[in-house]
Amino acid sequence: MQGLLYLTLILGAVVAVVPFAWMLLTASKTYGEHSQKVFWPAGLTVRPYTNLSPAQEIVVDMHPTDAWHGSIASFSPLVEGVIPVNEVSRLVAENLDKKGIAIPFNVLILAMDTTDDGMRNYDRFVLTVDSRLAEQFTTRIKLGQWGGPDYEGAARGRWGPHFKVIEASPDQLVVKRGWNVGHMFFGNYITAWEQANFALYTRNSVIITLLTIAGVVLTGTLAAYAFARMEFPGKNLLFTAYLATYMIPWTVVMIPDYLIIVALNDFFKETFGMTNAWYNNWTALTIPFMVNAFTVFLLRQFFAQIPNELFDAALIDGCGHLRFLTQVVLPISKAPLMTVIILNGIWAWNSLQWPLIITSTADWRPITVGLSGFITEASAETQLIMAGSVITTIPILVLYFFTQKQFTEGIAKTGLKG
Amino acid sequence: MATVEQPVTPAFRRGLFAGRRGRRIRETLQAYLFLLPGTLLLLVFNLLPVGYAFYISMHKWRIQRGDFIGLENYLRALGEPMDVVWVVGGLGLLAGAWAVWHSIKPETSGKGFLLHAAVALMLIIGGLALVVGFPDMLANGDENLFKSLLITFFYSLGTVPLQIVLSFLLANILFQDIRGKTAWRILYFLPYVTVTVASAAVWTSIFEPRRGLANLVLTVLGVAEENLPQWLFEATGIGTLIGQWLGFEVPAWAGGPSLALVAVIIYNIWVYVGYNAVIYLAGLGNVPRELYEAARIDGASRWELLRHITIPLVSPTTYFLTMMGVLGTFKAFNHIYVMTKVGRTLGFPQGTTMTSSILIFKHFWERNQFGYASALAFVLTGVMLSLTWIQSRVAEGRVFYG
Repeated sequence: MQGLLYLTLILGAVVAVVPFAWMLLTASKTYGEHSQKVFWPAGLTVRPYTNLSPAQEIVVDMHPTDAWHGSIASFSPLVEGVIPVNEVSRLVAENLDKKGIAIPFNVLILAMDTTDDGMRNYDRFVLTVDSRLAEQFTTRIKLGQWGGPDYEGAARGRWGPHFKVIEASPDQLVVKRGWNVGHMFFGNYITAWEQANFALYTRNSVIITLLTIAGVVLTGTLAAYAFARMEFPGKNLLFTAYLATYMIPWTVVMIPDYLIIVALNDFFKETFGMTNAWYNNWTALTIPFMVNAFTVFLLRQFFAQIPNELFDAALIDGCGHLRFLTQVVLPISKAPLMTVIILNGIWAWNSLQWPLIITSTADWRPITVGLSGFITEASAETQLIMAGSVITTIPILVLYFFTQKQFTEGIAKTGLKG
Repeated sequence: MATVEQPVTPAFRRGLFAGRRGRRIRETLQAYLFLLPGTLLLLVFNLLPVGYAFYISMHKWRIQRGDFIGLENYLRALGEPMDVVWVVGGLGLLAGAWAVWHSIKPETSGKGFLLHAAVALMLIIGGLALVVGFPDMLANGDENLFKSLLITFFYSLGTVPLQIVLSFLLANILFQDIRGKTAWRILYFLPYVTVTVASAAVWTSIFEPRRGLANLVLTVLGVAEENLPQWLFEATGIGTLIGQWLGFEVPAWAGGPSLALVAVIIYNIWVYVGYNAVIYLAGLGNVPRELYEAARIDGASRWELLRHITIPLVSPTTYFLTMMGVLGTFKAFNHIYVMTKVGRTLGFPQGTTMTSSILIFKHFWERNQFGYASALAFVLTGVMLSLTWIQSRVAEGRVFYG
């Protein structure tokens, strides 16, 4: 009997965890590996990382050229050079073998000046393996950035050798030829991070979440304390009002809130001259949510249980409500406060619908909207979407692992209404 | 002998604020001050908007306010006024009949016959009203609204019972003397903790027809490539698909939810089983141990313990989870939005994943029909309130609060 129980538990745990394993595995695959349904990605084996020769700095002589086609031809003048490649990583060797390309071979490097100051300051470079075809097999890098060409389909230059232009002058480039192990391992994550602008979105999500939590804790503790420990006329009415908001579905309130934000935005623009004071700003993303009835109820229940003797003693010492709240109540409310912080943190980090309609530019977009847009953008490149998903999930998972006990206890209490 | 200093009454305790009455006035003012920020925000962004939403729903409103059209949006959604009257009246009579039935106590013998007759009458009239009004309402009202209500209904039916049963099972197992309880809890809770957009994206890739894990497993199990289900791309009902698989034909109207919706349902169950189980664990913890011991002494079997003690005593939790589950399906947005992005239209494929909140979002965001979307939101709130009422009536007899 015991065995059956454990079996069921294991089965359930497998079902719960398999999607995460799938996410991690796919996030490390290349597009080809995912299409061909390769189970374990090469990036997570030792193969690409063994027998890598040390990096070398090479001086490349550059000559003027007009043999390039396509959109690159619009940059002129162009200079081109040749970098010899004697050694490739194992994965690239396997691939080249299939295509019948022998080592050593040449990588062509083309230099472009996009600075538009006519001084021939090369800052953009194009790498390709012995082909002048304009877009298909080229990789572009900036000055000081690692990159590798598409070695005949070997995952867009992920497996190297990689190149970094250290110095650029009109006739010569100093190129470091080596291995970008970080890119080999984290390839998709790096691509997703840059392509989807995750740096900005993560910053936005963090700020929005922290501000929302701060607001909720502030309004929540004050309101909960008032309901729990103070007497005043209209107490029941106000409490009913708070209760009512808990019952109102979000869809009803979403449309008027949108119009209110737009109206506030226009008002601030006309009166204070601030464009986008609300719309497309952190204000609209945080302020409407800086109070919620659930938090107030949770804290109220806890505050109400604090013994009156504590308050009477404080009163004798000349302490008013505010001091009692800050100096006595809050320090002993660590557990419910923790629950409030965690739950509201997750809700804020998770919110999609409101930020979707209230931001039209990327300035204050949170990571949920960013990932959602990236899903449409990347479409068939599932491995990039998976990498983006990992990036989106990690902060909350870290928070969860550090606080999982308070977490689950807090959740459990929400169900004990009966 | 040391002198005792007389304490000086602080300024805020003198004058108007002196004495007991003063303390109460001070407390009142303080309370209002404490409640000011929260209440102000709630008023502006939660309470007043309800009235504003109703105001919007009475206008033709496309981003800018248009003409006042009264209840026309509601009629567009629900059909002709008479249809609505018949249906709402019919439902009301049925509800009334139920209420009267329940108020009939065994003692009222004299009036008993009259009450029974009244109930029968109300049932008949109510039923007739529905039969008259319902088809007309379906014909005249918004077809998409009724379709989305049906879809939401399928969604509820698919997720809630299965979630409850599975999580109850899980909670019971975890409640026994199992080693590594914390570790199991962490694992089972992971789906709920993950950001919805991210886990929905993961499941979308799992359901990819050609490269996804689901079909990979099916291929390993021997399913031929042309028979692999198309998951989120499949608009055919699951009844029809199963019929095809078993060899007989199930007509489209009996097909039930589309396979795409079933995929969303599977995702939803995966997310919430662990969460529900944790809540059930807390509920199980509240069942007094003495009851089990007493029953065991009386020779009750494990199954009987479950049926006669555990299930009734966790019924408040079951009721709570069922209520939350059903209401949640009306509000569900994030994951459906992400998972059906594969088709780049809301409700893909062919509108079979258009649950109520997605429908409202479509009218609001894509068609800019603020007035109509607001009206829909109120109609749906009405439906949700009715469901809540029905659930609480059903629970009344069955939830045992101990």
